[in-house]
Amino acid sequence: MKKLLLSLLVVVTIFAANGAVAAADLEINTPAIAALKASMQTRHGQLSPFYSSGAVGLTKDGMIAIKDANAVPLKDRGALNGLVSAENADRANLYKEIATANGHPEWQGDIQNTFAGRWIDKAQGGWWYQGAGGWVKK
Amino acid sequence: MLRNATIACLLLLSQNVFALSQINIQIGALSNESIEARNVNINLNLKAVPTVTLKTELKQPADKAWAQAQMRCLLPVNLTQDVWNCTDGKFTAPRINLPFALEVTPQPKGFAANLNLQGANFSDEAGLHAADKLTGHLAVVARQDGDTLHFNSALNWQSGEVFWQPLYFANGGHELQAAGSLRGDVLTLDNATLKLDKVGDLKFSGQIDIKKYNIQRLNADLPNLNLAEAYPLLFKPFLGKTLLNDADLNGNAALSVTVVDSQLKTFKINLKDANIDDKNHKFAFYNVNADIPWSYDDATKISFSYENGQLLNMPLGRTNIGTEVNRYSLVSPEITLPILDGAFKLSDISAAHINDNWYWHLRASLTPISMPDASRAFKLPIMQGKASAEIPLVTYSGGILTTDGEIVLNVFDGQVKVTQLTMINPLTDAPKLSADLTMRNLDLGELTRTFSFGAIEGKLDGDVQGLEMLNWKPVKMDAKLESSPGKYTKKISQRAVENISSLGGAGAGAAVERSFLRFFKQFNYEKMGLSCKLHNDICEMSGIGSTPGGYVIVKGSGIPSITVLGYNQTVSWGELIDRIKRVIDGNSKAIVK
Repeated sequence: MKKLLLSLLVVVTIFAANGAVAAADLEINTPAIAALKASMQTRHGQLSPFYSSGAVGLTKDGMIAIKDANAVPLKDRGALNGLVSAENADRANLYKEIATANGHPEWQGDIQNTFAGRWIDKAQGGWWYQGAGGWVKK
Repeated sequence: MLRNATIACLLLLSQNVFALSQINIQIGALSNESIEARNVNINLNLKAVPTVTLKTELKQPADKAWAQAQMRCLLPVNLTQDVWNCTDGKFTAPRINLPFALEVTPQPKGFAANLNLQGANFSDEAGLHAADKLTGHLAVVARQDGDTLHFNSALNWQSGEVFWQPLYFANGGHELQAAGSLRGDVLTLDNATLKLDKVGDLKFSGQIDIKKYNIQRLNADLPNLNLAEAYPLLFKPFLGKTLLNDADLNGNAALSVTVVDSQLKTFKINLKDANIDDKNHKFAFYNVNADIPWSYDDATKISFSYENGQLLNMPLGRTNIGTEVNRYSLVSPEITLPILDGAFKLSDISAAHINDNWYWHLRASLTPISMPDASRAFKLPIMQGKASAEIPLVTYSGGILTTDGEIVLNVFDGQVKVTQLTMINPLTDAPKLSADLTMRNLDLGELTRTFSFGAIEGKLDGDVQGLEMLNWKPVKMDAKLESSPGKYTKKISQRAVENISSLGGAGAGAAVERSFLRFFKQFNYEKMGLSCKLHNDICEMSGIGSTPGGYVIVKGSGIPSITVLGYNQTVSWGELIDRIKRVIDGNSKAIVK
């Protein structure tokens, strides 16, 4: 019986540890989060054609990166670069703000990982994302 | 292995030059540490005009794909002295197409070469380093002297566009000349000039360990830089999300830099009649003149002045700033920034740049500036009075600006005090501000005239606790407005009653018979007040008293008196702002029939 209780306790502990991020409210809303989401929403219109063409892909760490800008005219690549870094700055801030709003700034890394999976799940067919072995077309 | 093959080929040539018309040499594979070749095909055509044609596949050991290279050269009469003229040169690989022509003249212990690129394209896999329709010319003269290779080279980029992350050059017209030597891993540049079309000429010299990427010494001098051309080409791509990333610049600058052992030793920046104008109108400085010397070892004095400008729409007058810089810190006893008809005086300034962050503190005072001018500058309704401030200590650390003390605005015959003012990233896209405000004895007559609210006579107190603004929009506060204590005339016009009622929402109304209301233009009141606890975009509203299902905004007294009730206990902040705007715009729908 003692053994059973002990193993149960171990199981509970494991679940509790894994449950840290599951317990995080990823939909939590604060003015800062709303502002970041609005900024990302506005930018999405500009980024969307680049996702479709494969110029930009989703990285496995919840960010975006230039995958192949060869179809983009040279003169526009600087602007594309700027879009990607602005988006990544917003994403980094979003993960930080969600962690802070949940009262656990230390969850930022886990929240970022959870979002990475979400972005890829939500991506449209034809978009590119980073899999374990490199870029994959969805 | 490569050397052996070449020798074999030359041997064949010298022995059989009169007997043969053509020699074809095929080599399956060749390699050394840095390059691999396969399917090497050398064709010597010994007819009337002798030529040698080389075709091969090449790659570096780490590459997956093979590149194709070929060229055809006229065989000179004297192989070791005459010009080798090679045409139809082509180097192709995935995303690379470099058509070229090469002219090589063997010289004692060296050679002189001219390489012409005609309409070349290349790109890396991500497209971040790429060129299109590139046409240019490279001339190199090289001579081996013991263990030292001396060279003199000139690169002329005639046309074609290049994107080299993050830089983009739309056109050619640029030249690079460099003379120097290579000994072991150390590249010495005795004299180099980079001429950037319309931008300026950069002269530099120095010594670099090319294996360790260590700059042993470097002197660079850019005596005349055209800022209008240089800003979009060279500066803007590196300014990312900084304040200066979207500005118009013009004027002239001179720059010089010395580096020793990859460490910045000195620099000097001079600005001559430069204009800096933020396209988002956050700031502008005109007729900027600056002399900014800096040295790692010695303290320097810098001066910076502008004729006029604006900061967040606040006009700035002629300013001279002089400070002393000691490596990564600076001190200045006093800086006066004339603003409108007053001035912002900064004193006991000290600042330091540590680990990529700025830290500074100073004392600040604002000598009285006229509110009518300030309200015009901020595009606000014209307010009367003067504003002044005394801030014993302003500290900036890690992007956070905090103040200790109070900012006093003497407006509307009363006083507004701002305390506990803190700003996070004040000049970025997402500035955060927090503060407490107290308002005392504001004259309602002046206030309602200024904001076209319908006339109210009386005085108003206000307290805003824990105000938090994000991007200059309130997101949290506990605000209360209430009639000031004391004896004074308290009258409210019919128009103001309607407006206050409409602030309370559609269900709000004057607690008097409506038929009665229209007989009077003005009413007496005893007290008025409205409060808003803002949180999560919702404003919880209340007044100076409560009634079943509502709250009292204006409590009447005497004859004719009027009491105004509000019924909306909660209202979204956006809706409340819309209501206030509608009232101020005079579009408020009259609820009085």
